[in-house]
Amino acid sequence: MASVESAVPNAGAPILALEKLDKRFGATHALRTVDLTFDEGEIHAIVGENGAGKSTLIKLLTGVYPRSSGDVFWHGAPVALATPHEAINLGINAVHQEVVLCPHLTVAANIFLGDEEMRGGLLNKKRMVRDAQALLDDLGFSLPAGALLSSLTIGQQQLVATARAERRGAKFLIFDEPTAYLTRQEAAALFKLIRRLKASGVTIVYISHRLEEVFELCDRVSVLRDGALVGTRKVSETNEADLIALMIARKIEQIYHKDAVPIGETIMETHALTGPGFQDVSIRVREGEVVGLYGLIGAGRSEFVQSVFGRRPATSGRIVWRGKDVSIRNERQAMNLGIALSPESRRDQGLCLSLGVGLNINLPIFKLLSIGPLINLTREAECADKQIRDVQIKTSSRMAPVTSLSGGNQQKVVIGKWLNHGAKLFIFDEPTVGVDVGTKAEIYRLLGSLLKQGAGIIMISSYLPEVYELADTLHVFRAGRLVATHGHKDASHEAILTEAIGV
Amino acid sequence: MTDQTISQDHQRGRRLDVLLGLTLLGLLLVMWLALSIETTTFWTANNMANLLRQGAMIAILAIGETFAIITGGIDLSVGAVAGFTSMTVAWLLVHDLGFASTIAGAVAISLAVGIFIGLFHAFGVVQMGLPPFIMTLATMYALRGIGLLITNGSTISITNDAFTGFSRSSFLGFPWTDGTWFQIPMLFWMVIVVAIPAYILLEQSRWGRYLFAIGSNKEAARLSGVNVAAITYLAYVVSSFCAAFCGVLLAMRIGIGNPTQAEGWELQAIASSVIGGTSLFGAVGSVHGPLIGSFILTTINNGANLLNLNPFWQRIITGFLIIIVVYFDTLRTRKR
Repeated sequence: MASVESAVPNAGAPILALEKLDKRFGATHALRTVDLTFDEGEIHAIVGENGAGKSTLIKLLTGVYPRSSGDVFWHGAPVALATPHEAINLGINAVHQEVVLCPHLTVAANIFLGDEEMRGGLLNKKRMVRDAQALLDDLGFSLPAGALLSSLTIGQQQLVATARAERRGAKFLIFDEPTAYLTRQEAAALFKLIRRLKASGVTIVYISHRLEEVFELCDRVSVLRDGALVGTRKVSETNEADLIALMIARKIEQIYHKDAVPIGETIMETHALTGPGFQDVSIRVREGEVVGLYGLIGAGRSEFVQSVFGRRPATSGRIVWRGKDVSIRNERQAMNLGIALSPESRRDQGLCLSLGVGLNINLPIFKLLSIGPLINLTREAECADKQIRDVQIKTSSRMAPVTSLSGGNQQKVVIGKWLNHGAKLFIFDEPTVGVDVGTKAEIYRLLGSLLKQGAGIIMISSYLPEVYELADTLHVFRAGRLVATHGHKDASHEAILTEAIGV
Repeated sequence: MTDQTISQDHQRGRRLDVLLGLTLLGLLLVMWLALSIETTTFWTANNMANLLRQGAMIAILAIGETFAIITGGIDLSVGAVAGFTSMTVAWLLVHDLGFASTIAGAVAISLAVGIFIGLFHAFGVVQMGLPPFIMTLATMYALRGIGLLITNGSTISITNDAFTGFSRSSFLGFPWTDGTWFQIPMLFWMVIVVAIPAYILLEQSRWGRYLFAIGSNKEAARLSGVNVAAITYLAYVVSSFCAAFCGVLLAMRIGIGNPTQAEGWELQAIASSVIGGTSLFGAVGSVHGPLIGSFILTTINNGANLLNLNPFWQRIITGFLIIIVVYFDTLRTRKR
């Protein structure tokens, strides 16, 4: 790394300095007198729980919100950063977690969006595709510039967004949870790119919930808590436990704490189940057991559980529920048996975002809250309020739309809505994606209480430490097939990863 | 973003919500007040009863339309369905088909025709996967054609006085401000007859919750065990049923059946619904909203007549009103 740094002329000098940066929204103090400097050419991680002020900080740096007070210095000179345009002109760009590009345009058109190459008043499409391709090749992505953006995976779209920022001459690039939806290979490609950008003198701000990425990638890390900066550390001089302690102010001895629950009778088995996206999967879930499904994204895990839940019914094989063969052709049959599914994407599958928290929580159980078609409105309200309390969802009321909640609280709604349903088998597909450490611990506790009530759990996760620590039985998926099965922590991380990748 | 700022935003949003509801009612009352001052003919028992009569049919259409819009769909056929069923009920009444030609039989069959059309719409949307806009645009054209084919382009005159008399009759009343007696028109009671079950269905039944859920996120609703197909059927059946009911009332009121009647009413119904706060993106809507919306439109209509305004102004005013009201709505939903 030393050779890389010496290649950059001003390496180490602050490119951006924040002095007593403050932001209030009405009565809320979102950022409290933050003093922070970013050195040119460094990768600077910012971590903190949901609601710690990370998003607010990004929005101040990119000119989306004006600051309430404090100063910002760019290369030592004070700047206003009052509009996004000003930020972009300085060279400050952000790549967001959920890609904000146009899915119906080509990769090239997206890269050139807002700054198209023209010839005689018309778009010079040919040249844009050529230039975009050159840029992509130069960055080391094997992506076709002429393809529609919507034909790419989310990970590839993220790379396009980065290429777009690169083309706009970014000197200061903010990544907001870039790997939340990426596969391991895609994340690796992105890391490679980030290191290249750093080597060419770009300053990177990297925001992530995944602390292991901070250690893999970053030079320094700053921790925000409740809007205040609680510390900046060199990555080489800190460790995961330190950072977590800074982030949550309380010591989590063991995030993956799990009480021993006796394993009971078999709830469900699948025998050679085959359906769209997976083949020949046989698993068994027992009372009090966590069955982990690990694999890369696209390995067929989500497809498998969606078949068990009746969303895309299996084409062959058997599902045995409490010793009896059953056929699950739709979601309602699965629910009637006692299966609950908390899907992977809370935005696309989990929540009615524009509707109230209460309605979302009660959606699976309105039948239980109704006499005939008519809802018992008192019970509806009580049930929602109870669940909001029990799962500790931070919301102004049960009527507040889900969009008004932070990501972690939204995820609690996705999970909480199944807890009143009386299910015996809970399927959690990536239950902790994009969720902070504190909320993760709460979700694990919730899982634990379900096990104590004698439920069985199928848990999909792409984050190996999570399934590794929690699963009593861990199945590894690769390319639509179940390729290996382990007991609780009876193989190494490396061995499991190797099985998932299949090298 | 912290939770507190969000909840503040949200509270502001709710206040605007209430404000919008009051604004609409306020707008209606202000229009009434202004017209009462400007004209001597507006605030009379007779004219107000007439206004309720005029607004009744669009109100019923708009309530039904709102169900389709809440699911994220649209029903462009409601005017055509009203015209078609006005023809159906008239055709049955002038023929001699036993029970089917009694008032009860003819009305029941006409309403059943409405339900059938709604089922067909839902079939196209659910089973054939057509966009609701296309499906109902197609039947909008086709129904007029089928009606013309059946009647061979001519108008059916209804001679049944008991049938047509219903639209002129009234039920209950109260003393008006000028000492005359205000009689509540039967047609307005029909609005109540539709609105109360519609309100219960939308606001107090689980199917109502499901309608909103589908409009907000179909996949999330499905994965929560909502029978998306069945609820979509419900929405289009309610829409067409209300339209058929409107068609029967139309036949009573004008005493004829003609499939080309109610031309353009679908747009008035959609406008009433939108003025009443329904979001064309789905998942936002009520029963009282389109009700107030339709009477605002009718008041513009009625007032313009009394003021001897060029009737073309009515359309211009309606157009601008939609822009203003929907602008307020976007203010309400816009994030900071």
